[in-house]
Amino acid sequence: MTLNARIPEGPLPHKWGNFKDHCQLVNPSNKPKHTILVVGTGLAGASAAATLAEQGYRVKSFCIQDSPRRAHSIAAQGGINAAKNYPNDGDSVWRLFYDTIKGGDYRSREANVYRLAQISNQIIDQCVAQGVPFAREYSGLLANRSFGGAQVSRTFYAKGQTGQQLLLGAYGAMMRQVAARQIELFPRREMLDLVVINGQARGIVVRNLLTGEFERYAGDAVVLATGGYSNVYYLSTNGKNSNVTAAWRAHKRGALFANPCFTQIHPTCIPVASEFQSKLTLMSESLRNDGRVWVPKQAGNQRLAQEIPEADRDYYLETRYPTFGNLVPRDVASRNAKQVIDEGRGVGSTGLAVYLDFRDAIASQGKSAIEARYGNLFEMYQRITGEDPYAVPMRIYPAVHYTMGGLWVDYHLMSTVPGLFVLGEANFSDHGANRLGASALMQGLADGYFIIPYTLGNYLATTPLPEVDTSDEAFGEAEASARTRTMKLLSIQGDKTVLDFHRELGHLIWNGVGIHRHQQGLKKTIEDVRSLRHEFWQNLRVPGEATTLNKNLEFAGRVADFMELGEVMARDALAREESCGCHFREEFQTASGEAQRRDEPFAIAAAWKYQGDEQPPELEHETLVFENVELTQRSYR
Amino acid sequence: MISTQSSEADALGTASFTPLSSNKSPELPELPELPESSEWFSTIGKKLLTGITGLGLVIFVVVHLLGNLTLFFSASAYNRLAHIIERLGVLTYLVEGGLLAIALVHIAVGINIHMNKQTARPVKYAQYVSAGQPSRQSLSSRTMIVSGLVLGGFLVMHLATFKFGTYYTLPDGSGRDLSRLVFETFHRPGYTAGYVVVLSLLGLHLRHGIWSALQSLGIATRPGLYAASAVLGSAIALGFIGLPISIYFGLI
Amino acid sequence: MKINLKIWRQEHARVSGAFVHYTVANVQPDLSFLEVLDLLNEQLIAEGGVPVEFDHDCREGICGACGMMVNGQAHGPLQRTAVCQLYMRHFSDGDTVTVEPWRAKAFPVIKDLVVDRSALDRISAAGGYISVKTGAAPDANAVLVAKPDADTAFDYAACIGCGACIAACPNASASLFTAAKISQLALLAQGQPERKSRVVKMTQQMTAEGFGDCSNHGECQSVCPKGISIDAIAQMRREYIRAKLPFG
Repeated sequence: MTLNARIPEGPLPHKWGNFKDHCQLVNPSNKPKHTILVVGTGLAGASAAATLAEQGYRVKSFCIQDSPRRAHSIAAQGGINAAKNYPNDGDSVWRLFYDTIKGGDYRSREANVYRLAQISNQIIDQCVAQGVPFAREYSGLLANRSFGGAQVSRTFYAKGQTGQQLLLGAYGAMMRQVAARQIELFPRREMLDLVVINGQARGIVVRNLLTGEFERYAGDAVVLATGGYSNVYYLSTNGKNSNVTAAWRAHKRGALFANPCFTQIHPTCIPVASEFQSKLTLMSESLRNDGRVWVPKQAGNQRLAQEIPEADRDYYLETRYPTFGNLVPRDVASRNAKQVIDEGRGVGSTGLAVYLDFRDAIASQGKSAIEARYGNLFEMYQRITGEDPYAVPMRIYPAVHYTMGGLWVDYHLMSTVPGLFVLGEANFSDHGANRLGASALMQGLADGYFIIPYTLGNYLATTPLPEVDTSDEAFGEAEASARTRTMKLLSIQGDKTVLDFHRELGHLIWNGVGIHRHQQGLKKTIEDVRSLRHEFWQNLRVPGEATTLNKNLEFAGRVADFMELGEVMARDALAREESCGCHFREEFQTASGEAQRRDEPFAIAAAWKYQGDEQPPELEHETLVFENVELTQRSYR
Repeated sequence: MISTQSSEADALGTASFTPLSSNKSPELPELPELPESSEWFSTIGKKLLTGITGLGLVIFVVVHLLGNLTLFFSASAYNRLAHIIERLGVLTYLVEGGLLAIALVHIAVGINIHMNKQTARPVKYAQYVSAGQPSRQSLSSRTMIVSGLVLGGFLVMHLATFKFGTYYTLPDGSGRDLSRLVFETFHRPGYTAGYVVVLSLLGLHLRHGIWSALQSLGIATRPGLYAASAVLGSAIALGFIGLPISIYFGLI
Repeated sequence: MKINLKIWRQEHARVSGAFVHYTVANVQPDLSFLEVLDLLNEQLIAEGGVPVEFDHDCREGICGACGMMVNGQAHGPLQRTAVCQLYMRHFSDGDTVTVEPWRAKAFPVIKDLVVDRSALDRISAAGGYISVKTGAAPDANAVLVAKPDADTAFDYAACIGCGACIAACPNASASLFTAAKISQLALLAQGQPERKSRVVKMTQQMTAEGFGDCSNHGECQSVCPKGISIDAIAQMRREYIRAKLPFG
């Protein structure tokens, strides 16, 4: 079946305007009659909740954290893109659109990406008005920087805490509506099921994480803004609580899951130091502007970095990519690091790292110049590793940190379940097979502040919504199924902990659906993940009770969903017989080892339909039509 | 100078909104209204009060000290000063009344802050350690209530001893011989020792107090001012202590 | 190395708690303190016990979820470091580490080391924002902010809302948390229209939540993972005076 993305008519630059001009509006006096359930309070969820509440809708906002301000958007470091062209360096809406769609390796929807670029400027205006303290010039005007290899300086930033500042802006807007009683806040609630009545999303079942009670909430639409699923890899740069559960349960109620194998792996993370390490920390890739990446030429090296003479060092990025050198895109840098490590040339005690060396930069520019540029990053590195990067090279390793895949949505950001809207990283829409730096924050806020208010209004104004309340049998059924699943987790009382299973799952996914993938490996991963899932449901041990705060129980439910997702990721990677963006299939590469895209037949969004826990999902697709850009092959040599 | 109307705060409706953990329908329960506190008794108002009264008392203490120091010149200079003050009549009473009011407010607010501290943390830590610089927590800051109460008690005794103590008349009958009382008092070892201890506590109180008063009044204090607070506090304490010590050991 | 832990265990707010002693062996210096708690919990589950609950999320010091007293200090012995970024290389073999929840009337214990910090959200809701509706903003560069003001505003805006300032304050005062937001917005041109009402409303809410009064101990600035200065508190007081002066 081919999915209809409901893209408005007209030339690309006019589509969003046309939509806004002709969409149906909800009468102001009717808005308070609509209850909207917003799940998640990151950039997308908080901005959506605040804006919908400002417009007069009754909003109920749910988050798993103790406060909405802790959503993982807070950890984004780098910045947010916008086509303001304040530096007068040639940027434009078109250029931002083009860079984003090209960066996504032509696997995203033209109309969505163009809209994103158009909205980008309004986002900056909005955030500045909220008091977000972006970096400024001495003139008092906003400062910009170039980010992630972009040719223009279009990134706005607040030191290395841009995500935090943007989120606190959205959180403030949201708390204003909480005070005005337009938003009712439900922290420490985890969405465990979507309630679909007459084919429409009409409610959710959540578990109160403090009391263990299951609670039902009804509304006229459900907005999911629950983030990405990088934690399927166990180790990632995501927060420990980031999970796929809300999105996955919605998927099992009929929402298609698109491009799950598109996961971005960031090359400059602090490597794993021990088996018990719980998470990975990202360092800004701006480090590669001055740091040189190398490994020893010979495998099995035992010497310390400073003992290795120049002749024995392999600056492999500079040799292989003379034009871009250390600044090749994220996926290329990650893939090459994995390759040299697989050759046994990795460094550090685990051998799972490559060097990022500032020796030459310090020698040529002076320590103070490097300190001014990267001081806080060096400090962070030293805090975590205990090593001084001014004296010895940093060790870096790739880590998963963003997932481009997610619930399939049309131009209206509505999933295949009418009334279920999906925003931010939780949807699949704008980044194709690879996300550009400083674009995630832009997308989350575009979706929440500027898109959903229109598209949701249009839905409410054009859709008959019969009265429902939480006594409906669909609520009863959803609650019962969530309850059964939760109690089942507690009752197994096997031998292995959630952490054991999560770690094992992470290994399987990292090795099978990680930096590079191949047919055999993927087939094996499908089998391995499936059998691990079966073992999970036989041999899991969750301590404690279901009636008090029990984080092990929460995690068990999330890992159970990751098990199912992991299998679909491998199926998706297997079905996509091409290399594109972050998806590198070894069978599909050029003679020089670059990703070989196959636009025919894979210029599609692959959307998977749930068929049952033991049935393989069914593949549906949306054909991506490119009318405005020419599909070119990347080359960084 | 500070507006006393509180209608503005009421109109803002800050006191109540959805309790965050509520699982109720949008019909929200009424939350308790905030106490109708005047600006002066709000949490920042109290700091302003302690700060202003504290600085007022510092000024008084400095003036008092300068008066005491006249004894180092001569007993007659000291007595002349006492005489001048006595002859100010109504003005003296006004100043004394003002000082008393300032002291009472300072004490009342201090006790209130201390009591709030007890309610704000009903369960104490089993282990508690200061994190060190740039923390300004010190023996001085931790003992403000103790040093303050001791100073308050001392004030009463001090007034009883000197202001309302034995009235020696000068040989020429021209007025009170206060210096004689001072010399007599500070030849008593117990009193002198106690005085030294209490005035050391004044130093301790002022070490945190002067700096803290400035911070309370919104003057963002730099490390220099923090150090100056220590210097001034010690100087005042030493100045006061110098007199009884000198008298006791017969240096003057 | 081997680490002895003395941890506050409390089932919920209505029962009393107590310290329980545990030992975790094979602690590597590269582990974070929270990873040692993870290890302990795995050990407890294996023994059929109940794990120690503690809030945590990003584990890179920015979300503000984690927080506990470690050896009597909020977030442990390292300054400008949230407890998730406290590494075991700062401890020695055989050390006994005391771990307690934040303690304040306004932070009731939920379970073990988890406390309810929703009071901070209510302080924010009382005025910690600029009342701008989506779509109503002028061009971002229409508003000028002098760089020093923008930089100081950023320093105050860096607050992660962890509650360490309150936990470490001998008076359990929330002044630094509240002042950081008030002062951030007071320094920005955009924050001017609500400047006066904001300081009044937020500080009223702070008192209503049951936090203590500030005594200028300045302990908060030492334990703040973001190193926010008590200059923010001085600024908050100036804002208050300005709000209350009839012609201010």
